[in-house]
Amino acid sequence: MLPTAGLDLSGLTSSSVDSDYAVDGFHHRHTVESGRIVEIARAFCDGGYHLEMMTCEDRRADLEAMRLVYTFGRFDLVDRHLVFVDLVPEIPGAEAPSMTGVFPAADWYEREVYDMYGVRFSGHPDLKRILLPDDADFHALLKDFGRIEDAPEEESGERDEGQGA
Amino acid sequence: MNSGVLDTLQRGVEEETYYLNMGPQHPSMHGVLRLLLHMRGEMVLECEPIIGYAHRAHEKMAENRSYIQFLPNTSRIDYLSGMIYNIAFCQAIEKMAGIDVPERAEVIRVIVCELNRIQSHLLWFGTFLLDIGGITPFLYCFDDREEILGILDRVSGSRLTYSYGRFGGVTADIDDVFISQTRSFLDRLRGRLPMYEGLVTKNVIFRDRCKGVGVITVDQARAYGVTGPVLRASGVAYDVRKAEPYGVYDRYDFEIPTRTSGDCLARYEVRVAEMEQSCRIIEQALDALPEGAIEPAKMVKKVKSAAGEYYFAVESARGHFGMYIVSDGTDVASRIKLRTPSFSVMSAAPDVLKGTMIADVIAIVGSVDVVLPEIDR
Amino acid sequence: MPRTLLDIFPNPLIAVGIGITAVMTVLSVNTLFCIWFERKVSAWIQLRMGPMEVGFHGTMQTVADMVKLLGKQLVTPKGIDKPLYHLAPIVVFAPVVAAASLMPFSESVAITNTNIGLVLVFMFGGFASIGIFMGGWGSNNKYALLGAMRSVAQNISYEIPLILSSLSVVLLVGAMGREFAVDGGVIQANGMNLAHITGVQAQRGVWFLLLQPLAFIIFFIAVLAETNRAPFDIPEAESELIAGFHTEYSGMRFGLFFFAEFSNMFIGAMVATILFLGGWDGPVLPGPAWFFLKTYFLVFCMMWIRWTYPRLRFDQLMTFAWGILVPLSILNLLITAFLVKVF
Repeated sequence: MLPTAGLDLSGLTSSSVDSDYAVDGFHHRHTVESGRIVEIARAFCDGGYHLEMMTCEDRRADLEAMRLVYTFGRFDLVDRHLVFVDLVPEIPGAEAPSMTGVFPAADWYEREVYDMYGVRFSGHPDLKRILLPDDADFHALLKDFGRIEDAPEEESGERDEGQGA
Repeated sequence: MNSGVLDTLQRGVEEETYYLNMGPQHPSMHGVLRLLLHMRGEMVLECEPIIGYAHRAHEKMAENRSYIQFLPNTSRIDYLSGMIYNIAFCQAIEKMAGIDVPERAEVIRVIVCELNRIQSHLLWFGTFLLDIGGITPFLYCFDDREEILGILDRVSGSRLTYSYGRFGGVTADIDDVFISQTRSFLDRLRGRLPMYEGLVTKNVIFRDRCKGVGVITVDQARAYGVTGPVLRASGVAYDVRKAEPYGVYDRYDFEIPTRTSGDCLARYEVRVAEMEQSCRIIEQALDALPEGAIEPAKMVKKVKSAAGEYYFAVESARGHFGMYIVSDGTDVASRIKLRTPSFSVMSAAPDVLKGTMIADVIAIVGSVDVVLPEIDR
Repeated sequence: MPRTLLDIFPNPLIAVGIGITAVMTVLSVNTLFCIWFERKVSAWIQLRMGPMEVGFHGTMQTVADMVKLLGKQLVTPKGIDKPLYHLAPIVVFAPVVAAASLMPFSESVAITNTNIGLVLVFMFGGFASIGIFMGGWGSNNKYALLGAMRSVAQNISYEIPLILSSLSVVLLVGAMGREFAVDGGVIQANGMNLAHITGVQAQRGVWFLLLQPLAFIIFFIAVLAETNRAPFDIPEAESELIAGFHTEYSGMRFGLFFFAEFSNMFIGAMVATILFLGGWDGPVLPGPAWFFLKTYFLVFCMMWIRWTYPRLRFDQLMTFAWGILVPLSILNLLITAFLVKVF
């Protein structure tokens, strides 16, 4: 059943499907072109929704995309929308319009995505790192950064000596 | 007065501002919050929260370990709602992998989670009063809180970071001692609440400090995704336990306390009322505690789930805690995003703190009850 | 009327020496006692034990703390205004000693006895805010500066109700007090003389607390504010300004500020005792015993208030002073003046 009360997404999404809330916790899933992000945010805002969460996934390996994930929810009824925005799989290079003009909550979420994934947001008022140090030269949640297998083996002998002293 | 003098005066006024760096080491910044305040005298012109000092890369760790290995991490995200987060993660995985939970385990989970919520609210109560200068209530609350910690310690083996949940149940069963301890604690707390009422709620200075301070409107709350007691103090009766009942919360009769003014006093009143509601839930759960197993017959070691995206939300002591889990079908998550309530509340801080006085900054930050490790994850 | 040290020891040098020694001893012992007492009172209010380890019920705890403070390194921060920073603890501390020497604690002996005692006490009280501002400004720390600014504004605001409320007592003394026999002669009671104020109450057998209850309440609140005690401890509000004006002071420099705070409390309670509670006046027990009993009762009340109430905000504090206390004390003074004139 699309659209839900007061929400008009017609023509904004590339694809919209209903989802089984009992299984995955979403009522609707949408795929949106990156150029439409602000419009769709506006539609959700006018429909009485709030930006519940926003994040990113590094899907360069399987989907060949950096995937932005937005979820929108309501306070008065249970209706959760999941919105995917697929970006080009290049870091740096992936860029999307910022939603901060519609939902101020996006400010910190976008900073976090930039911090962790290196996706840039055009129109963000102050896009800088939020959790990692300002001088970090990496984006920590990218799949090619810091897998445990990559970490050098610690030489236990030396460490014991150091601690025993 | 000619315009030249006026200009000078005007410029003088503009120059009379300074930056005050509050935190990360400051007595009332609740851990390692750092607020960069642009001030004029005692007034805050701008406020920029700087976070990340307690970043422990929980989300990265989630991608590097199996679900069961990630379980201990969950109670360390928010050290005050450790039990709630821990159980929430179990419930998310159970929903994702279709694991059944025995009746008794579900009820035990409700009891321990609500105890955890009361414990968190008690700590908040004390530290909030400490922030606005009342030292004594802090010690009274910690006295009460100590009992909960003792009760939970007895059943789970730790006081703060519990890891009490398992996929499909809980680690240890509760016994008669637990039940009698919990009941006597509830009686004790109910006996103490009127005292707090007299000592704090009716205190003129306290009311003056809180009334009309740090108002968060419904629109602001929606714009920033603010949830939990802060939202309810603004007048929206949104509680995940009611909106999307998880576990067996739909069985219990409780109310969502709300206020409409959205100021520090409203947030205070909402939390105090919530403690009473949690007591009601625990009582009902204890009265109808079913017998039976607390874990599935076969222990779940490896989580099998269909590839895809899952979302699971619970009501932590601070609001809507959501977990967005992307599974690729293996035992290790492809992505776990932790949507923490404090993060949203803190992102509204620049808006709320603008134009307040320095003493109000402390009161507001105290009243919204943020937990920094939860923001930084 | 009490004999002063100068009456007893004709040599001024000896008199001053003995006086200073006596005052310093009393103040030091008082501070040690008050810190222990405050800990015990707070523990009692908060259902704790308080210090129990050092000495009987922790009585030696503060002595140990003092030794610790004396042994601590004096950290001098960078970029300070050296003269101001180093002078501040002394400027805060010295007037306290001077003010304490003015107190007539017994009907027979006092350290000094001057006809402008009350004025001097307020004057020495006013010094403290200068020292605090010096410390706050000299520390090169914004928290210290904020605390210092608050302190100055607060002290100046609360001095007005403090003085106005004590003036009504002065008026009463002038009206009621008669004459005292001194060295064979007779002198007129002087409203500004602390010994005379007590003497009038003792002679008449009525404490000014009964005649001036409102003035007492105003005076007591103003004393709380003047001594930076909770709920008016905003200059050092630890949850807002770390430690306010003494954030950057360590070791014994901090110790001096601490010393001054407790001594100020003590002096404030003593002045209140003299003005409203009849000073040394009381049955059975000797004068000094009554005097210190009453003083410590007031000190206890200050602690009681501190551990019960949260802190006011700065603007509320000022509104309270200018909007409530000052008008009330003026009103009280006018009514007193009117009644004194009529009867």
